[in-house]
Amino acid sequence: MIQFSQVTKRYPGGHEALSGVDLIIEKGELVFLTGHSGAGKSTLLKLVAAIERPTSGVVTVSGQNVGRLPQRALPYLRRNVGLVFQDHKLLFDRNAIENVVLPLDIAGFERRESFRRARAVLDKVGLLNREKANPISLSGGEQQRLCIARALVSRPALLLADEPTGNLDAGYAADIMTMFREFHQVGTTLVIATHDDRAIAAMGGRVLHIDHGRVGEGA
Amino acid sequence: MKAWLRHQKTALRSALLRLAGQPFATLLTAVAMGVAISLPAGLYLALDNLGRLAGNLPAQPEISLFIADDASTTQRSALAARLRQADIAQARHVDKDEALAQLSAAQDLADVTAGLPDNPLPDAWIVRPRDSSRAALIQLAGELGTLPGVAESHLDSQWAERLAAALSLGRMGVWLLAALFATALIAISGNAIRAQVLARRDEILVSRLIGATDRYTRRPFLYLGALQGLFGGLASIGVLAGAGWLLKAPVAQLAGLYGSAFHLAPLAPLEWGAVLSLPALFGWLGAWLSVSRALGQVSAH
Repeated sequence: MIQFSQVTKRYPGGHEALSGVDLIIEKGELVFLTGHSGAGKSTLLKLVAAIERPTSGVVTVSGQNVGRLPQRALPYLRRNVGLVFQDHKLLFDRNAIENVVLPLDIAGFERRESFRRARAVLDKVGLLNREKANPISLSGGEQQRLCIARALVSRPALLLADEPTGNLDAGYAADIMTMFREFHQVGTTLVIATHDDRAIAAMGGRVLHIDHGRVGEGA
Repeated sequence: MKAWLRHQKTALRSALLRLAGQPFATLLTAVAMGVAISLPAGLYLALDNLGRLAGNLPAQPEISLFIADDASTTQRSALAARLRQADIAQARHVDKDEALAQLSAAQDLADVTAGLPDNPLPDAWIVRPRDSSRAALIQLAGELGTLPGVAESHLDSQWAERLAAALSLGRMGVWLLAALFATALIAISGNAIRAQVLARRDEILVSRLIGATDRYTRRPFLYLGALQGLFGGLASIGVLAGAGWLLKAPVAQLAGLYGSAFHLAPLAPLEWGAVLSLPALFGWLGAWLSVSRALGQVSAH
């Protein structure tokens, strides 16, 4: 599903976030990215979603060389990838369900069908009773679950999550990890950047450790 | 195709909601645009009406020939013979006594004319030529003017030609003004849309991360620009209708004093269409320019 060969990412200013990374993530895998902050976890996820392009090397997602995709092809790649952000990136000018509907709107779904799907996914993350609430009135955990709902509503084959439990207390974090395990069980490929060791231990799955831009297997 | 239509519908809906959500700003922009549109449109209407007024007047050009006081009888009959030739459609002799009587009757000048020691008016011929083209008229007026016994020839179509020339100058002015205000319209729309794009920066960034194409992002803003233009057009129709209503009574009064049934004509359906659709087009264009530029800026950060 995801393949990195000799991928290096250097940011303007000279900081090298990833150096010569080789890795393969198979379809349906559950992968945790660990490592101290600044090690390059976020950069790796951004390269997969083509938010950043590699300085050298090749990043392939579902057989597509995403580093070489033309700008106009990016939207179609991103529609097949669910993104969960640490800072949620919710829109506060609309209510919860309107946030979840946005990806389907973009993909051109019929509105009634969009809302039906959005309710289903809100139910799955336990927010169905808050569908009319403005995201700003939701707690941190609820906002994160809303962000996950938005990432999943278009049923992507691949879900990328950057520190999804970073700002949450242990109870909420466990809830969210349980949710991720359920998605993994129905076949979604998950790549989760986290330093929540407890969660990793509880869930099992493959662990990639990033240290100073180099990737190694195991914790 | 279905998805495309759905996208249009969503974008239109979002643009309408956006406009309804800030009625005051919408109204201000519509008024600014409406005023900008009413100026060329109003001038166009005024010229249109003037042209119609000019068209109502006798357009048949006439040449007046004034006969010298000392013209001999032979000269007079030679002139009369010349005026029976084929290039003259009609010639009417106006005796100077007859002319004086007409003058005092028409202008209520009996007191004045009665006080005159003798009749100051000349005998005259009013000639209507067969060929009314401008060159032929000038040539004929010139030729008749040099005949013996003719003191002066006068081409009566001059004022009508001057009016026609002034009207065509005015029409050119309308187009110039329209071009200027179209530019202003694009600028007003572009400015309004730019503010909207920057205000929705977060939404644009997030939408891009979850797969929005630039076309998707641009679409609601284009609708916004076109709708603003349309509202501007509506506002200008309001302005023109208001002006027409205010001018109706004074125009009727003035026309009445001249014994004319002239009244102001409103816009024709086609012109209505133009006043609504052209601003919408220019609003769209301004939005397109502005949103394309602003999207580049949003992605740069």
